[in-house]
Amino acid sequence: MPRYAMVIDLQRCVGCGACSIACRNENNVTEGIYWSNKITETVGTFPNVRYHYIPTLCNHCGSAPCVRGCPTRAMHKLDNGITMHDPKKCIGCKYCEFNCPYGVIYFNWEKPHKFWRSEEAAIPGGTASPKELVEKVGGQATPYSNPERTGTAATIRPKGIVEKCTFCDHRVAKKQLPYCVEACPANARVFGDLSDPNSEVSVLLGKFHPFRLREEIGTEPHVFYIRGYNPARYRATKGGV
Amino acid sequence: MNGNKSLYPIWLGVLGIAILAGAVAGAFIFMQGHILFNANDVLIWTLPLGVYIFLALSSSGLTLLSALPLVFGIKKYEPFAKRLVFLAIATLCGGFVSIGLELGSIFNMIYIMLSPNLSSPIWWMGAIYSVELAVLALKFWKMHTGDYHSGFSKLLGTASFVLALIAPLMIGSVFGLTESRATYFGPVMSIYCLLMAVLSGTALFILYSLVVGRVTGAASSGECAAVLYDEFTLILTYAAGIVTAFTLLKIVIESSTTIPAFLVYHKFEHLFGSIGVFGTEVILGLFLPFVLLLIPSVRGTAGGRILASALIFVGSLARHMEILLAGQSHPVGPKAEQFPQYVRYVPSGWELLVLVFALAVMLLLYTLGERYLKLNEAPTG
Repeated sequence: MPRYAMVIDLQRCVGCGACSIACRNENNVTEGIYWSNKITETVGTFPNVRYHYIPTLCNHCGSAPCVRGCPTRAMHKLDNGITMHDPKKCIGCKYCEFNCPYGVIYFNWEKPHKFWRSEEAAIPGGTASPKELVEKVGGQATPYSNPERTGTAATIRPKGIVEKCTFCDHRVAKKQLPYCVEACPANARVFGDLSDPNSEVSVLLGKFHPFRLREEIGTEPHVFYIRGYNPARYRATKGGV
Repeated sequence: MNGNKSLYPIWLGVLGIAILAGAVAGAFIFMQGHILFNANDVLIWTLPLGVYIFLALSSSGLTLLSALPLVFGIKKYEPFAKRLVFLAIATLCGGFVSIGLELGSIFNMIYIMLSPNLSSPIWWMGAIYSVELAVLALKFWKMHTGDYHSGFSKLLGTASFVLALIAPLMIGSVFGLTESRATYFGPVMSIYCLLMAVLSGTALFILYSLVVGRVTGAASSGECAAVLYDEFTLILTYAAGIVTAFTLLKIVIESSTTIPAFLVYHKFEHLFGSIGVFGTEVILGLFLPFVLLLIPSVRGTAGGRILASALIFVGSLARHMEILLAGQSHPVGPKAEQFPQYVRYVPSGWELLVLVFALAVMLLLYTLGERYLKLNEAPTG
């Protein structure tokens, strides 16, 4: 059985956000919820400053606090290592969200895709309302909803339950890459089987010194980061007193 | 309720209106979702969960007190046993109203039992409190039918005592087992919850008994009352002392540690204000009543006892809220991209209605129990 993991090459990542847009489209993610997100940081004092960007998603932890704490087993592990969420079992207690050290689980505080439920036309008498548009094109909640998400998770997750990244399990089951990996224009995301020593992810983890987020708490994240984006140069120096 | 017969229908009317308002709020929450709460993906749990913790722990404290006569056979406490068990049931029912609305539906509470995860502290918390409610109800029924001393009745008393010991530990572990939130103090939070259960349960019992005694004009004198006034107040003083010591230690550690999570925690804006490192709810809801209870001339008067127990009881809810919110005050990981560095909280009107609903259900049960269930009854023989 494969053990899926992702390597994110921070030298290749340009912070364009295509991963987040692709994820949103593929998984019908509503506004305010981020299956694919980022941590940004500005360090230094002007003029010596630099901006750092780390893309984030569910870490599909080997020892997942969300899975351990979920009272109804809605949050569970698949044999291939993917941390999945079953909306039918979720009671909305939000303990997984509380328990997640990475801030990648979100709660549907209200019925999703609020914008597309509006009956108000952008130009009264001139354009259709968002709701009419959704009905006209036969979309589910949005005009652009992706029906392929259906199956292992709800196409649109209802209010009162949590949701998060699934490593695009529905695509992986069809031998396709997660859509954020597919969409990355810089090939900064590499997906594969950690249990195969010859897989691309295993090769990269052997070649570079990877780090994972909050490794010290022992959750065994399956999203690894290698290298860093920093083209800055500096004059060779020994410092001074 | 002989003393103030004319007030009784008014009191019932007030409770009826409160329950109606709460039920309407519940229907809106069910239809519109938790967007009605001032919660978000950083402040995940707010007032409804704080109220549940407060009432569930108070219920455990009342059950632990009931064990004095029912498990350890201390005869002089027997006249209070039936009332203590009933108050524990009613208080837990109030807590269940609050957690039911926090979950958005009563069916979600039931579903926990149908798909159990034995590694989840939330599952254990829900399961133990559900079983405790059932055991307490059975025990109360046995006492109501005059059976205090049969083997089965004693077994129920012992079971409820053990459950009341474990349940607060489970509430504490919901927070304490969260590796990513160091400010909840890990397993120590379970001990804190157990201490708080004894404290708020004892305060509730003294406050309730003294207020009911004054309103009805009953049970204000005699040997039973003397025991209540003196010995339960002593238990309250001890409990307040232990919680005060624990709280001081917690504040010292929080103030001196260099663990990054605590450095962020220091910047949390106290919900009720503070003087230095001491939150107002700690000063007024714990330190002040403890000092009052240490003064014999205050401890010895009914007014002093009502004041001290009321401060402790209300202060307990405030302290639970403060701890609950402070641990969630800053965004985790990438959520800092969408939320401010520190998130402030004021409950919404809907959340306050959940509080009103839970308290009204609890008080209605108290009222009906006092009127129809002979809570002053002591075992014969």
